[in-house]
Amino acid sequence: MSYLDVLILACPETIVALAALVVLALDLAVFRRRPWATRMRFGALAVTIGCLAALSWLWGTIPVRPLLHSDDVLVLNSLTHLIKIVVLLLTILTAWISIESQFTDHVGEYFALLLFGTLGMMFLVSTENLLMIFVALELLSLCLYTMTAFNKQNVRSAEAALKYFLFGGMSAAFLLFGFSLVYGLTGEITLGRIGRALNPSTLQPFNPSTLPDPLLIVALIMVMAGFGFKVAAVPFHLWAPDAYQGAPTPTAAFIASGSKVASFFILAKLLVAGFAGAGGAAAWRGFTQGWMPLVAILAALSIAVGNVAAIAQSSVRRLLAYSAIAHAGYALVGVLAFGSPTPSASTLQPFNPSTHHGFTALIYYVVTYACTALGAFGVVAIVEGSGSTVQRFNDSTVGPPDDLRAFAGLGKRAPLLSFCMLIFILSLAGIPPLAGFFGKFYLFAAALSSGKDLALLWLVVFAIAMTAVSLYYYLQVLKQIYVAPPPRLDDSTTQRFNDSTTQQPFNPSTLQPITPSWPAQASVVILAAAVVILGLAPNLLVGRVLGMVDASRLFLR
Amino acid sequence: MAALKVGSVTSAVQSLWLIPVLPLLAAGLLAFAKQRHRVFAGTLAIVALVASFIVACGAFAATLGAHGERAVFNFTWLQFGETPLRLGWVLDPLTAVMVVMVTLVGTLIFIFSVGYMAEDENFTRFFCFLSLFAAAMLGLVIANNLLLLFVCWELVGLASYLLIGFWYHKPSAAAAAKKAFIVTRIGDIGFFIGILWLYAETGTLLLYDNGNGCLEGSALAQLVARTTIGGMVVSTAIALLIFCGAMGKSGQVPLHVWLPDAMEGPTPVSALIHAATMVAAGVFLVARVYPLMDADPANVAGHSPALCVVTWIGAITAIFAALIAVAQNDIKRILAYSTVSQLGYMMLGLGTGGVAVGIFHLITHAFFKALLFLGAGSVIHGCHHEQDIRRMGGLRRFMPLTFATYAVGMMALAGFPLFFSGFWSKDEILHSAFAWAPSRWPFYLGAAGAVLTTFYMTRQMFYVFFGHNRADEPAGHVHVHESPAIMVVPLVILAAGAVLLSIVGTPAWPWFHAYLTGHAAAVQPVAVDVILIMLLSTALVALGLGLGWWLYGRRRIERADSPDPLEALQADTFTVLRQKFWIDEAYDKTVVRLNRALCRAADWLDVFVWGGLVALVSYLAVGIAWVNRLIDEYVVNLGFDKGCGSVRWTARLLSLWQNGQVQRYLRALGVALAIFVLIFIWGCRG
Repeated sequence: MSYLDVLILACPETIVALAALVVLALDLAVFRRRPWATRMRFGALAVTIGCLAALSWLWGTIPVRPLLHSDDVLVLNSLTHLIKIVVLLLTILTAWISIESQFTDHVGEYFALLLFGTLGMMFLVSTENLLMIFVALELLSLCLYTMTAFNKQNVRSAEAALKYFLFGGMSAAFLLFGFSLVYGLTGEITLGRIGRALNPSTLQPFNPSTLPDPLLIVALIMVMAGFGFKVAAVPFHLWAPDAYQGAPTPTAAFIASGSKVASFFILAKLLVAGFAGAGGAAAWRGFTQGWMPLVAILAALSIAVGNVAAIAQSSVRRLLAYSAIAHAGYALVGVLAFGSPTPSASTLQPFNPSTHHGFTALIYYVVTYACTALGAFGVVAIVEGSGSTVQRFNDSTVGPPDDLRAFAGLGKRAPLLSFCMLIFILSLAGIPPLAGFFGKFYLFAAALSSGKDLALLWLVVFAIAMTAVSLYYYLQVLKQIYVAPPPRLDDSTTQRFNDSTTQQPFNPSTLQPITPSWPAQASVVILAAAVVILGLAPNLLVGRVLGMVDASRLFLR
Repeated sequence: MAALKVGSVTSAVQSLWLIPVLPLLAAGLLAFAKQRHRVFAGTLAIVALVASFIVACGAFAATLGAHGERAVFNFTWLQFGETPLRLGWVLDPLTAVMVVMVTLVGTLIFIFSVGYMAEDENFTRFFCFLSLFAAAMLGLVIANNLLLLFVCWELVGLASYLLIGFWYHKPSAAAAAKKAFIVTRIGDIGFFIGILWLYAETGTLLLYDNGNGCLEGSALAQLVARTTIGGMVVSTAIALLIFCGAMGKSGQVPLHVWLPDAMEGPTPVSALIHAATMVAAGVFLVARVYPLMDADPANVAGHSPALCVVTWIGAITAIFAALIAVAQNDIKRILAYSTVSQLGYMMLGLGTGGVAVGIFHLITHAFFKALLFLGAGSVIHGCHHEQDIRRMGGLRRFMPLTFATYAVGMMALAGFPLFFSGFWSKDEILHSAFAWAPSRWPFYLGAAGAVLTTFYMTRQMFYVFFGHNRADEPAGHVHVHESPAIMVVPLVILAAGAVLLSIVGTPAWPWFHAYLTGHAAAVQPVAVDVILIMLLSTALVALGLGLGWWLYGRRRIERADSPDPLEALQADTFTVLRQKFWIDEAYDKTVVRLNRALCRAADWLDVFVWGGLVALVSYLAVGIAWVNRLIDEYVVNLGFDKGCGSVRWTARLLSLWQNGQVQRYLRALGVALAIFVLIFIWGCRG
């Protein structure tokens, strides 16, 4: 295969990379002296054009059969195309939300990093080669670290970025170590061949009597640690609340949405295709060695810690961070459902249709969650952007700008925005008929139908119970928005403000109606509409993905 | 050529969803409109419904040449595991006729409402609800899935509830709304159980699905082959359960009590919902699931046990409600009981003569009853919200147009021969009841009801439009006025419809019948027995008219509080009728009282038994907690443990972990890794 062919296969990625360079160059050369708002809008426009170009290429070239590059460096099928389209759309909306927050003067660099991060995700989605997975993951992570540190006026931003970076570095080390152990065990670096090598008799892929090598266990745990960090699963989640709180809001939104979609997609592929023979079992009191009990423990811990810890949060961003941890736990349940052998599985075809349902449920869940999280962060960005200057720069005086109380009375100040937030929050909590409900429904249904004798029943029951707990903190946000009266800054606050900034008198701008810029508003409304539509007609996505999972013949090559 | 026409049905069904969606969008937009956007509200609602009407006409035209061809559009809504949940809509002559009727009558009533509700401050809300109703009703009509039909059915009920209670500050209106909602719900429970049972038996709720639907051959054969409690065939049991829903919605005895009370709503609502469309939904439902109703192991068409029940209930309702209507004084209540009675006729027609007979009366009734209600609305509007017919009189001179159109409606309802649609549709019902093999009694009941119908309508006409005005005003200062053009024009159009519809359903050229059953219409000679029945029903109408005139028209009714002539003649009978056979009171004494007793019992159980159990458990828990605390304070003696008593404290504990020091985080990561390795190497040996 010549380089030209590779270039054609990777054309969308090339377009995104070029777009990043163009944004950078144009901003430096042409727009440097323009007003800040113009540069921001131009940047968002350029990101939109670049992503749309890549997206239309993807749309036009959905492959009927899987296209491969040697050593599975690039694996393209209709499913990877779909995920890439989703990622690109999320990037566009993230760029629109960015317009609202004024955190940096380096507009060109910011949008270029956003696009490079997207590039990382796209490669991550379309590869089944361990080396390529690692490189793409690092490309994505490095962009995210830098974007987290982008608010130089805020100490928290730098602190969060440093933690994120240190954590990420350590996790990357674990991941690489794990990969190298896998290579040492099998001598292969592509997922399909690793799967076959770990599992010498392909006719009996799920033989419980063959216990895996201890070295394989270590490798598995190392890999899971690396990915647990990426998807913020307990106990590798410790960076998440700090990063979500300290990072500029669009960055946090990006971490919560696009990067989650790509990471879960590749994690599921890695575990199910690469470690096909080392599944083990995760039934209650019936754990056997393999990646399934590991994922089950991570899922249960994430669901428990995420939901309980979120209750005590007074900052909306930290609340969303813990919510993200809990949702990562739910999604891991989907990974389990995907990987579990089903009773009806014939020996020749281990991945029967109900496993496809597991993968479909996982994709539906992650995509709808990404939309919801991005929308919720969009609302947070707008509310923070509308706060008085004192709230943005001097958080020591009034408290963090994303304090729950900043949302008090939002229902009156911004009815449309509040309504969108209502949709997002209820969807996160899993209230029908929103997408979050069907996501959980499909996920749990798939988990129940997989494995022998309702093997995952304990996990599903636990997850459902914790979902009920989660209602408490989700409704806290809604209570602030719709029930609580708008904040009345008392005299002492005013006094403190007037002491700290003597240039201008106190302006209670928190009480005025919020007027966000139209792209930010539009992206929030689009996401809310998407959440409602995907909830009302889940088959729009589910039916398509089912067909694509079938067509991609993911594991039968 | 045939293929082309069939193709046009299949293409028309693709755009059928537009018909309910347009009013739904209007309702959604109006929900956000401000109170002062009155012109916008009225225009939007009417434009949306007119657009629906145009689409409906297109669909109707497509079915014209298709000879009863049925086209369906099904799609998967949800997929769990291997079972898809499929919804869809269907276009056949029944659907086409209903959508055209609903959109046309609905549009006229919307226009009328602009005039009638002009003074109301909640004008926008009214049109929002009306549009919601229209959307739900149209969705019900096109649904090809019983679940979708049920959803729309309940939405229709919701819209009815909202509109009956539109003037919710009136206690009677609020009570009537509640009553309507609850009484129809009783029937709906049966309907819902029927749906579930049907799904359990056939595994599908699609009505038509290219041979796999629950109304098609294989499913019906399967249902007929099985018997259930008391030797009843499963199909009969399910059909009867579904008929329960129809009874509630269409006000059949004994669930008719809500419909007269529903007249508390604004008059256009009474016309649209409680006369022309929604109450006919029950009749429509029976027609829709007619193959199921008709399924019978003996395989004799029209004589299945379910249809016998439909026939008998219909006949009893027809006479029962007509009797009550004779003694009422509220102009709208008379019409309400008349509606109940006519719905009984439709059921009778469905039971004895099949879909075409019942539906033809449904369509003609929709026109003339909407006309009568709007006429009554015009009268009420003109008399400044007076509804007692004894306080009217002589309105013929003040409201000539209203009088003329009302007279047309009255003639059509009474079944005045030859020129009015009601004559032909009712005659067809009487004829099929006459030919019904199992029993002749439904025919006798229907014939007696026909006399009563003419009688009470004549009584109403004499009270309202003849004689002199009996309002409590000094003579010569009558403030009655004719209604504005926006209210009168719909009346005229409806009156024209009430007359012209008679063309399509005469025995000599039964086009409507042929259209619904999918045959070609042809002029045919009229059989002798048909002519006999026509003569008989003409005689019945003449008898009713004569009786009415003899009692009410011969002598002037002098004062508003003078006793009713019939009361003077037969005081006891009249009292029984005026009190509506004490049905409401009987329900109050039995069902409602039983319900209250059950409520009290449940309350007692809740407070003492369950509450006691909960309290016991909590005391136990508190006791254990107390012991625990003693142990804690004095044995363990750690203040730290006290803080873990609640979830919030646990949460704070988790936050402590999150103290922001990155060294500790990384250490935690390493420790977690080590623990996992240990667990998995030694802990999971299967």
